[in-house]
Amino acid sequence: MTRISALVWLAVVVLAVGYLVVRVHDGLPLRTDFLALLPREDQDPVLQRANDAVSRSLARRVVVLVGHPSPKEARAAAIRLTADMTATGLVDLVADAFDADRLKRLGTLYFRYRRGLLSEANRALLAAGEGEAVATKAMAQAFGVGGIADGNLLRSDPFLLLPSFFADLPFPLTRLRMDDGMLTVTDSNVTWILVMATLTGEPFALDVQERLVGAFDRSAAALRELYPGLQIKCLGAVFFAEAASRTAIGEASILTILSLAGTILLIVIVFRRVRPLLLNMLVVGVGIGGALAGSLFVFGELHVASLLFGTSLIGVAVDYGLYYTSSVFDPAGGAPPERLCRILSGIVLGLLTTLLGYGALALAPFPGLRQIAVFSVIGLLAAFATVVLWLPILDAARPAGHAAGLLTAADRMYAFWEAAPWRHARSLLLLAALTTGLAGLALVHTDNDVRRMQALSPELLRDQDDIRGLIGTTAATQFLLVEASDDEMALRREEALVPLLARLKAEGALLGAQMPSAFVPSAERQRENQVLVRTALEEPLLSRQRGMLGIDPAEAGVNPSNYDILTLNEALGSKAVPLLRDLVLAPGLHVVTLQGLARPDAVRAAFADIASVRFIDPTADFSALLGKYQQRALLLTALSATLMFVALALRYGWKGSAWVMAPSVIAILLAPAILSLAGQAFTFFHAMALVLLLSVASDYAIFCAESPGDRRTVTLLAVWMAALTTLLSFGLLVVSRVPAVHNFGSTMLIGILLALLAAPLASRGRQKAVPPVHDRLAEDERARVV
Amino acid sequence: MIRPLILLLGLVLTASTMAPPVFAAPVAEVTPLAKGQVLRGRFEQLRFLQGFQAPLKSSGTFFLAPGLGLIWKTEAPFALTTVMSPAGLVQEVGGRETMRMPSARIPFMSKLYAMLGGALTGDWEGLSSAFNITHKADGKGWRLKLEPIRADDPEMPIRAIDLHGSRFLEDVDLIKLNGDHDRLVFLNQKLESASPTPEESELLARAGEP
Repeated sequence: MTRISALVWLAVVVLAVGYLVVRVHDGLPLRTDFLALLPREDQDPVLQRANDAVSRSLARRVVVLVGHPSPKEARAAAIRLTADMTATGLVDLVADAFDADRLKRLGTLYFRYRRGLLSEANRALLAAGEGEAVATKAMAQAFGVGGIADGNLLRSDPFLLLPSFFADLPFPLTRLRMDDGMLTVTDSNVTWILVMATLTGEPFALDVQERLVGAFDRSAAALRELYPGLQIKCLGAVFFAEAASRTAIGEASILTILSLAGTILLIVIVFRRVRPLLLNMLVVGVGIGGALAGSLFVFGELHVASLLFGTSLIGVAVDYGLYYTSSVFDPAGGAPPERLCRILSGIVLGLLTTLLGYGALALAPFPGLRQIAVFSVIGLLAAFATVVLWLPILDAARPAGHAAGLLTAADRMYAFWEAAPWRHARSLLLLAALTTGLAGLALVHTDNDVRRMQALSPELLRDQDDIRGLIGTTAATQFLLVEASDDEMALRREEALVPLLARLKAEGALLGAQMPSAFVPSAERQRENQVLVRTALEEPLLSRQRGMLGIDPAEAGVNPSNYDILTLNEALGSKAVPLLRDLVLAPGLHVVTLQGLARPDAVRAAFADIASVRFIDPTADFSALLGKYQQRALLLTALSATLMFVALALRYGWKGSAWVMAPSVIAILLAPAILSLAGQAFTFFHAMALVLLLSVASDYAIFCAESPGDRRTVTLLAVWMAALTTLLSFGLLVVSRVPAVHNFGSTMLIGILLALLAAPLASRGRQKAVPPVHDRLAEDERARVV
Repeated sequence: MIRPLILLLGLVLTASTMAPPVFAAPVAEVTPLAKGQVLRGRFEQLRFLQGFQAPLKSSGTFFLAPGLGLIWKTEAPFALTTVMSPAGLVQEVGGRETMRMPSARIPFMSKLYAMLGGALTGDWEGLSSAFNITHKADGKGWRLKLEPIRADDPEMPIRAIDLHGSRFLEDVDLIKLNGDHDRLVFLNQKLESASPTPEESELLARAGEP
């Protein structure tokens, strides 16, 4: 019977592994964009698309400044660096707005519609009836020394309206100048050359980061050697992401080695055998493999966050294996199936309570949490099946007696919690815990600002500030989103925003804004302009202007009946206008980018009451999202604990259940309290650690509660080992330089220690009146064996 | 884009009047400006535009203070002042500004500075990095022809510049890419050992305002 079940399970595992191999062979479909984690209920498709498009175009930007006291060397270095970066095939150079072809294309696009295109200044003059001033400006340019008049332009545009409109186009504010085809800025005798590119790949893809940043670093190092005194500064999500991945990978490999070596050492030292190690590795391997295969089968894809968190949850699965393998120290001894029977009730109850907890997680409307839940549930079931069905068959170990010292230590721990002489100490401890808990929880403050959860490279941050200082303002990550029924309405709305933006500019809240309507005025505005041009300029002044310039009206290019309107689609289609593509997300859905945003709050407030215009701050939104996730995680933890309490009450009674739950509750309440006393703000990552902590701590407690007096020290020994392995994997994260990981690690470290110390309390919940499950099961098993 | 031409012109004027003796013989005949000297004179400009039957004709006075800038006062066909300084350019008609270009906004400006500075110190490298210079003497003076080295540079709207002079620069012909060209003739040039008048100083200062 057991053999058949084991074989069936083997078949299932083989199938799962086969499925996994096929899926992984096609490339593991991992998602990395955090938008995929957005709660369903809050997913505003419009907002999501806007956010996605804008952050993508920002994230792909690569800006490099190459500086040297000698302009010649700076230029040579910039050319080499550009070539080396382009050679990776991962970047497109950004052809700048100054390039000659682009100017030509701009001219071709706008020329036909020039009578409807006015600069703000000319429009104001004409509206005020000062057509004369506009005419004089054109005359000054035509006759002034070195003036800009071009014969063909002057004939067809005698008031030079189009050049004014061009001068008004909101190209990014910058201190850069074009010098011999290269954008240049000179600052304290250093000539800086700008190299600007767009990433063709995903900035958050590891291989893109490695290839591009690798090529960049090699090139920069070679150039620094070639040109002493050369300075290179870079800015771009890809650089930050690469630095972060490098830190993370570096830390992760050290931590993995430490935790692996520690765990192996621990198991080998305690058991003095290799087989328990292999068995536990098998349990974890089947657990993770099964979870991966199952989740891919259910979701078709996996988010990398679910994978990471889910994998760590399966660390819980190793507890079952350790609980079983520790049974070799049981003085009662027995063959493997017999030993399994004795601990089975603990494992089953532990699994059930954990499943209950994650079942609740799966109901949450957060796709991320749901994936984690499914991943963990499948993984835990697989690990459980492996322990129950395979371990007794694979385990040939005979009872071992070498752990007497450890068992004595475990016994002392029970004594502390139960023996009369320790009563006062226990009361003191309780008081201390209460005080700490109350004081700490009173001080808890939450902070989910995502900027404080990443470990941004300080050198890159310095580069970023330097570059902003050198080239002037860059687009803010915040932007305005304009929604309307169609493009025309959106353009009109933007035109209506101009006075407000001008006021904000005057107040110093921002330096500039770019909106589609600056490049293509609404049809309504173009018609108004045409009327102004006709009534305030052409009718009173055209023949005089032509006379002074000596233009024969017959040869003039002006066709007074030309009232064509430039449409946004035509401008987009022409590809002549740089940046416009990034500003129009969809018909009627436009982006207004903000430059030199000094006071986001003022801008947010200014647009708060304007319908169909929204101030979007992706960083703040993401922080708010984390805050929401945090609340849900806490709620779910509370819900899980309640469900566990009720479920355990079925077995231990209400009072007994309270005792069994006590260690978990102590851990999840005291850990954040202690951290808050230590000055840490409570973040999303603390909350996620609590989710994990609850299931780990309840397992420890249930193992203790399910062990009768003669075996409970062996169980406590197993709990110690489980706790130590968990500390080795999660507690170690406390040393991470990434605040998010550190927060998670510190919560686990303190929580697991608390759960470990308080675990013996759970054995008070054991009701002697109810015969333990394992006795009955063991009898059944014996009967079957016989 | 053609605005830099104004500066170039200023440079050429300065360069030719300021060129120290180390420069090639014909140009060395140009009377150098001593420190504290300014140059005044009249100019006539004929602007030949494609498709126009007659050139646009203007005339007026100019004033050059080395290191400070150039003031062009057009008198006919209407009053118009153009001021160029190292910090920028401003143009006004009847007290109303019609154009303002701080140097930070004019592409090419830094190159002009380099050339201007180079010319003032007798270092012609700045100019020769952008132009091929050929000069020849004729009976009455000297003639220079400047042609861009990189003809395809989108920032170089000039096909060629012809300069002619003897003691002073006498005329300039600026040929643009599209065939338009400006012909400037300088008359009655006088060197004075004087500072700019308060009015001139004020104009020069205003060109540098952002």
